[in-house]
Amino acid sequence: MLLEINGLTKYFGGLAAVRDFNMHIDEGELLGLIGPNGAGKTTIFNLITSMYKPTKGKIIFDGNDITSKKPHEIARLGIGRTFQLNPLFADFTVLQNVSTSFHLHPKSSLPDIYFNTAKYRRNEAYILEQSQEILKMVGLDKVENELAKNLPHGYQKMLGIARALAVKPRLLILDEPIAGMNPSEIDFTLDAIRKMQQQKITIFLVEHNMKILELCERVVVIDFGQKIAEGLPNDVRENKEVIRAYFGGERVT
Amino acid sequence: MERRLSIKGRRELTRPAVYAGLAVIVALLPLFFESPYILHILILTFIYIIATVSFRTIVISGQFPLAHAAFMGIGAYLAAMAAKWLGMSPWITIPLSALITAGIGMLIGYPFSRLRSLYYAMGSLFFGMGIIQVIYAGGSWTGGYSGLTGIPALLPGVGSKVPYYYFFLGLALVSIIALYRIEFSRIGTNLKAIAQSHVVASSVGINEGGYRILAVGVGCFFVGLAGASYAHYNMVLSCSSFNFMATLWLVMYVLIGGVSSFAGPIVGTIILIIIPEYFRDLKMYSPFVNAVILGIVVYLMPQGLVGLPRLVKSKFTERRKTKKVNHAS
Repeated sequence: MLLEINGLTKYFGGLAAVRDFNMHIDEGELLGLIGPNGAGKTTIFNLITSMYKPTKGKIIFDGNDITSKKPHEIARLGIGRTFQLNPLFADFTVLQNVSTSFHLHPKSSLPDIYFNTAKYRRNEAYILEQSQEILKMVGLDKVENELAKNLPHGYQKMLGIARALAVKPRLLILDEPIAGMNPSEIDFTLDAIRKMQQQKITIFLVEHNMKILELCERVVVIDFGQKIAEGLPNDVRENKEVIRAYFGGERVT
Repeated sequence: MERRLSIKGRRELTRPAVYAGLAVIVALLPLFFESPYILHILILTFIYIIATVSFRTIVISGQFPLAHAAFMGIGAYLAAMAAKWLGMSPWITIPLSALITAGIGMLIGYPFSRLRSLYYAMGSLFFGMGIIQVIYAGGSWTGGYSGLTGIPALLPGVGSKVPYYYFFLGLALVSIIALYRIEFSRIGTNLKAIAQSHVVASSVGINEGGYRILAVGVGCFFVGLAGASYAHYNMVLSCSSFNFMATLWLVMYVLIGGVSSFAGPIVGTIILIIIPEYFRDLKMYSPFVNAVILGIVVYLMPQGLVGLPRLVKSKFTERRKTKKVNHAS
């Protein structure tokens, strides 16, 4: 088991965004998280990556309790993520966005960086090469010298994924990776996700689009911060609780 | 392709050559200007260049410190008091008080690293004001309102300003090179990444708090160095050199030179210290003139004076392009 969440609860004032939530992710799995708007999906992501502190509950990653770690420590343990509104290093080029993120493996010490030692230069050359490889994988190698803020929306989304890949994640968290993309960009992203799966990266994603959910091996459905169903994408679709959460009543058959 | 390469190659050679040429000219200036007054102005320019360049090191990490002159004051008063009351040599007090200033900066930087934008600016502003009050309250230790006098000189028995000129020129060059190395290495990249999006930066494993404290520590070290060596050069300290107005002057130098490039604070400091001295008779109007200059620069040259050549160039190419379009139609 790569990630385990036990009794996770988060209150914003008196409002419970996530309540007594339990789940796990196995190594190498592609897991989907779905639910109506405001169900608490992004809150769960922010809790896993420590952007929020949970009110109660435990998050265990690879045997370590990561509940009270800081966001940058979470990234160092091997959890990469993208964001729904997709903030970027807007004034950096595409390549700089990835190479800036690519600093943990190999990591140079501050004196090495400052005195520009042979080790630092070797590390930087390696990072440049690896960053270009990641850009090739997500198809951004042709625009590597453009400023990130000048890219079209679909490219910016792919850049977000490329940046998350640069931390060499064991678990990759994608918050609506294909929202707002056109059909050809969607196909391209799905290809990229399949490639990541082949590289044994565990992926946990939120998405509304059925195309991407059909890739998932397992889907967790939440509503009002609580898990209401779990299982194969097609089974979940028939689940009465799920239908009620989305449509407010039973499906007429 | 070949042509582009040759241009790039030539540029790589000319840049260091231009910098070396400038350094030689600056090093030869005392041969042409014997007046101690002019040398004094140039020495002050060197001191303030260290202050503004170190100010920008903190700014690129997304923090806007309004206590930078107060940190210069901490360095200056610590060095002056250690030399005057404890009899320490200026050659020890200068590096020591720079280190202590950096330590105080990092200590304050720790709680402040949770504040952002306006809140950070306000927090540092009030810290700076507090420092000034502490100096006022110091009584005979700090000289209080009347200022501290009788500070041991850095070069005792030297009447001429020329040795001081070379000392401060060297200090400024070393500081500029040290801070340049920080900005154009991965450390500077991480600082700029934090300024653009602290959320993204921490999601890729950049320690936001750590790097922000590091930037403050480095900035405070160099401004403390500037303050401490100023104390042993001027031999008299007054609190008003380090109050909020003094910080605002630093902000002016940086903004007018251009905050987005490394050379900006250097150019801004040189121009804003030397030009007003030229028109010294009109000094009473200088706040108005400075306000007008700042207005013009911010309105017409958002990248500051340093961005001026690029601005002119882009205007020209624009005109040429529109001409071409007109011609084609």
